[in-house]
Amino acid sequence: MATTACFIIVSRNDIPIYEAEVGSAVKREDAAHLHQFILHAAQDIVQDLAWTTSAMFLKAIDRFNDLVVSVYIILNPLYLPGSRIASSHFDTKVRALARKYL
Amino acid sequence: MEPDVSIETGAMIRVAVLPVGHVPTPLLRDYAAMLLRHGSVSLSAISSFYTEHQKSPFANQPWDSGSLRFKFVIGGSPPSPWEDFQSNRKILAVVGVCHCPSSPDLDDVIEQFGVKCKGYASALVRRCFAFCPSDAQLEDGSKKDSNLKLFPPADRQTQEFHLQTMMQDVAASLLMEFEKWVLQAESAGTILKTPLDSQANFSSEELIKAKKRRLGRAQKTIGDYCLLAGSPVDANAHYQTALELARLTGDYFWYAGALEGGVCALMLDRMGHMDPELVDEVKYRYNSVIGHYRKSSIQDNAQRVSPLSFELEATLKLARFLCRRDLAKDVAELLTNAADGAKSLIDASDRLILFVEIARLYGKINYQRKAAFFSRQVAQLYLQQENRLAALSAMQVLAMTTKAYRVQSRASVSEHPLDDDVGQGSANGGKVLHQSIVSLFECQWSTLQMVVLREILLSAVRAGDPLAAWSAAARLLRSYYPLITPVGQNGLANALANSAERLPSGTRCADPALPFVRLYSFPLLSSQVDVVKRNPSREDWWMGSATSGPFIYTPFSKGDSNDSGKQEVIWIVGEPVHVLVELANPCGFDLRVDSIYLSMHSGNVDPFPVSVNLPPNSSKVITLSGIPTSVGQVTIPGCMVHCYGVVTEHLFRDVENLLLGAAQGLVLSDPFRCCGSAKLRNVSVPNISVVPQLPLLVPHIIGGDGAIILYEGEIRDVWISLSNAGTVPVEQAHISLSGKNQDSVISVAYEALRGSLPLKPGAEVTLPVTLKAWQLGLVDPDNASKSGSGITGRHHKDGNSPMLVIHYAGPLTNSGDPTANGSAVTPGRRLVVPLPVCVLQGLSFVKARLLSMEIPAHVSESSPIPAFGDGNSTKEALSSERKLERLVKIDPFRGSWGLRFLELELSNPTDVVFEISVSVQLENPIADINKAIDQDAVEYSCPKTRIDRDYSARVLIPLEHFKLPVLDDSFFLRDTHSNGASTSRSSSFSEKSAKAELNASIEKLISKIKVKWHSGRNSSGELNIKDTIQKALQSSVMDVLLPDPLTFGFRLVRDGSSDAAVPDMPMASMIQVEKTASEGCMMANEVTPMEVLVRNNTKETIRMCLSITCRDVAGENCTEGANATVLWSGVLNGITMEVPPLKETKHLFSLYFLVPGEYTLVAASVIEDANDILRARAKADSPDEPICCRGPPFHVCVMGTA
Repeated sequence: MATTACFIIVSRNDIPIYEAEVGSAVKREDAAHLHQFILHAAQDIVQDLAWTTSAMFLKAIDRFNDLVVSVYIILNPLYLPGSRIASSHFDTKVRALARKYL
Repeated sequence: MEPDVSIETGAMIRVAVLPVGHVPTPLLRDYAAMLLRHGSVSLSAISSFYTEHQKSPFANQPWDSGSLRFKFVIGGSPPSPWEDFQSNRKILAVVGVCHCPSSPDLDDVIEQFGVKCKGYASALVRRCFAFCPSDAQLEDGSKKDSNLKLFPPADRQTQEFHLQTMMQDVAASLLMEFEKWVLQAESAGTILKTPLDSQANFSSEELIKAKKRRLGRAQKTIGDYCLLAGSPVDANAHYQTALELARLTGDYFWYAGALEGGVCALMLDRMGHMDPELVDEVKYRYNSVIGHYRKSSIQDNAQRVSPLSFELEATLKLARFLCRRDLAKDVAELLTNAADGAKSLIDASDRLILFVEIARLYGKINYQRKAAFFSRQVAQLYLQQENRLAALSAMQVLAMTTKAYRVQSRASVSEHPLDDDVGQGSANGGKVLHQSIVSLFECQWSTLQMVVLREILLSAVRAGDPLAAWSAAARLLRSYYPLITPVGQNGLANALANSAERLPSGTRCADPALPFVRLYSFPLLSSQVDVVKRNPSREDWWMGSATSGPFIYTPFSKGDSNDSGKQEVIWIVGEPVHVLVELANPCGFDLRVDSIYLSMHSGNVDPFPVSVNLPPNSSKVITLSGIPTSVGQVTIPGCMVHCYGVVTEHLFRDVENLLLGAAQGLVLSDPFRCCGSAKLRNVSVPNISVVPQLPLLVPHIIGGDGAIILYEGEIRDVWISLSNAGTVPVEQAHISLSGKNQDSVISVAYEALRGSLPLKPGAEVTLPVTLKAWQLGLVDPDNASKSGSGITGRHHKDGNSPMLVIHYAGPLTNSGDPTANGSAVTPGRRLVVPLPVCVLQGLSFVKARLLSMEIPAHVSESSPIPAFGDGNSTKEALSSERKLERLVKIDPFRGSWGLRFLELELSNPTDVVFEISVSVQLENPIADINKAIDQDAVEYSCPKTRIDRDYSARVLIPLEHFKLPVLDDSFFLRDTHSNGASTSRSSSFSEKSAKAELNASIEKLISKIKVKWHSGRNSSGELNIKDTIQKALQSSVMDVLLPDPLTFGFRLVRDGSSDAAVPDMPMASMIQVEKTASEGCMMANEVTPMEVLVRNNTKETIRMCLSITCRDVAGENCTEGANATVLWSGVLNGITMEVPPLKETKHLFSLYFLVPGEYTLVAASVIEDANDILRARAKADSPDEPICCRGPPFHVCVMGTA
């Protein structure tokens, strides 16, 4: 099975600040959109769930068809709300890790 | 699958509502609405219509509290294949709705209704409700079919009551039919099938199985009817039996059905009283229901027809039951499971219903993003259908998702609550501001937003809704142009254009497309038409009010602007106004803005539209103008733009927020910066108020509006005409000066302006203004140095010119407008008229120096009067003519010892000829003593000096007549201090004041001297020589101003002392001497009695030792020595004298000249016990130094005896 994943970092105020489509599957634009749509919708679940658990890793909290959503809830005290992650180094690292584990 | 299912659905009697004959749609809607109110009919209400034919099978029916529930299916529906399994799926009643006026033939109606009812075999009750019958129809109808119920025309309330009764009748009939059905089923049994069974019809094994199962299924169905009859207890009993039987026969599908019915009965029994126990119970039982449905679908996996939809429906029913915020987790889990089932659903419409329901339920627990996600799934299913209606549905569903994806049309957003936060945030500080800006851009999933907008555009195009398509394309283009390729941008532009073609011209859309419009600047009124608020309580009404004038900073307005934070602008009715806006087209195509004009909601300004072309990636600043039409406040939220065939409003605030976001990195791109425009500017719309018409003065400088070219120091009159171009008279006017070189305006004819008031509209007044050109060098050293070479350049700079500031106003309140607030005073105006003076270099100073002239006086019979007349000769009456003569010409008999001249060397670098005239304004030195005689200052003039171009000339100014009459300490003591000679008491303060005194006296002196020039016919002016003279006089001011302590004079004495008594009378004798002995010469070899006059100019008695010497032309002393040529009688040396203050003392002596020739008499004295004043005057270095006073030389001409 071809693995495909979409990795998005969302800041508070629901602003996506980093997006990466990773995985070995052939990239289809529709699919990429679907991934983002699913992640966007999953936030409704996350925002409720985050208050009920102390865990930072919420595994498989939502799904649509075969696509499963897992979430890390982390906090960066140095983050300026709204600013986007534009570091190419970070992007490279994320993609390298994706190749390694996916 | 069916939409809108809930647990209670099982207890609802399905009623088809069918229009019979032609029923206009609004009426049908109205009738249906009336019907829908009777969704529940209580059992107690139907008892009057109910007759118990046999013993009712519903033994435990709650007649006092129960009710029958209806579910109206407007338009009806085809029979469901599953109606045996769930009796509530059957259409159990048909209600026809007829509008009698459009269906006159009642027979026809009855027939049509009968035909329609044939489609509903399951219907137990049929009624046709005919509304608004005519009298004939009423009469006719009563004889007809009992199923036709006529509703006579009546008021609404009566009709509703009528309908209620009819529905109670229907309910009672249904209840009786249910009883009949149940009794029949119990006695005769019934065959119940589902699509699941149909395939196994021919298998004998299945047939046997079915027979076994029949009883259980019948019990389940009887339970369903009990539920429909509103008897949950009976229903429960039947369901229990059914469960037992189904379990035994392994009929899991029906088992689940009975279980589900049981939950419905439980719910009905509890009458909607929700408690946690019930919730748990329902949850438990429904999970079991879902489990059994699943079991049955696994069991029947091989079959084509799947009971999956029942499992999903049950899931949805439970989710709807639990649908509360606190159980959101359970609901979300159920809905996630339900969504999983979607891909197994074969029927696309089932999937559609499933997603619709999921979306609705997510929406109910406020999971807006989830709801939006499933709504979009629904829209995609609709879009797969590729027909117009489906596209319309898709469009409507997508429109519901726009809020969650933050791409909503502005038409759906009534207000912007966040914008207020931004306003507050900016006041509270940066951090708050940032957060509130962030909140403006939250949920900006641009990829998703673009996809959604694109789908809306697609569905709108397919649905044939050009306005929605235009709006979607506009939103897409405006918000996401940086993410769209130029080709894509072009495509959107085409979509806009295509949509506009299908729209009527002038269509408005709430969503703006391009261009981006921001406020560029708010031009203040020019200084010519400036408006000033009027303070009616003050004479100078313009004071203290901030003007809208050209000055950025005024000390008056500073405090105000901090308080209000907003500028105030005043517009005047009827006078055009301008606002600059900047447009940007960041896209890759040419943008044609058909018209753009200011959007002013207040409606009291007529805006003028303009059209603009914007090339790709360009920005442009344009001026938008308008004319205020009535008094009031004006708000300018933005611009109306007519572009791509649609009129939209572009709000400045939106772009402001966008630019703020761009500055914070929250927005993809700043549309203005990517067009090469300058950085973000904070321009806010000021508070604008429109005031009634004001007068309007238009200035005009007579003789052309060009620069007034003047030579330095030139004095000229300029005429300024002011005409009132307004429609209101000027009633008050005041002129003041402003700007640099204000002192160059010598006079303004204030009276001319004041005298012309009130200045009617159209009237004109001319004001003469006298100007005196300033010195270039003093004002503008750069220019002076440049022009030093003598080249006459024009140094006209606006900044240097003075300005006339005219504050004027019309009547206090505008009588023409009675609606105006009584307390409001119409503002005044301020007109700034720059006097465009261009100063050319005129005469220039080369140098100035002080010259002293020493011409000895001739000894004559007349008294040698010192420069400042005798203090005791008060009777002396000198005519001013004589004085004048004495000043300008040097009296040969008196001499001019110590006479000082100021020599000014002037050069003329210009190309015209200058004539210089010097005049000295002199106060009579004895004026204070003899006021009656010489009260006025006397002016003395020197002859004119002509200076040709490129030549230099010198002008002499006599400085003799400025001497003070008395040498006293009032001036002098301080002067001593300032010199710091021998006193240690000197303090910095007295030094300063002494210096100031000195300077003041110098200035006084200088002010008396005027150097005027003329050039050509009408150029004349005055040289500013103040500084030059001051510089020249600085060192020797004491000599110029202060008299010597003693003055000496010689006189011939003819008749003893008689002359001395009247010292100035002997004019006649003097003239006589002059006649007899030319030039007043004496004869040799004669005893010549003479006297020396010593005058004390101080206020203290001076004792001295006087000596007189007589020298010949060779300078030899000729009274002493062996070769003495002059004999004398009397005392010449060592004469001890005491001169009282301000008096003079004579000393008589006689000379006998042996040889004719020229002699010089000099008197000198050594002052004994000189005081400080004298020492200071003599500039003595040491206190022991003898103080000598020497008089000027006097010439004596001795003639030989003929």
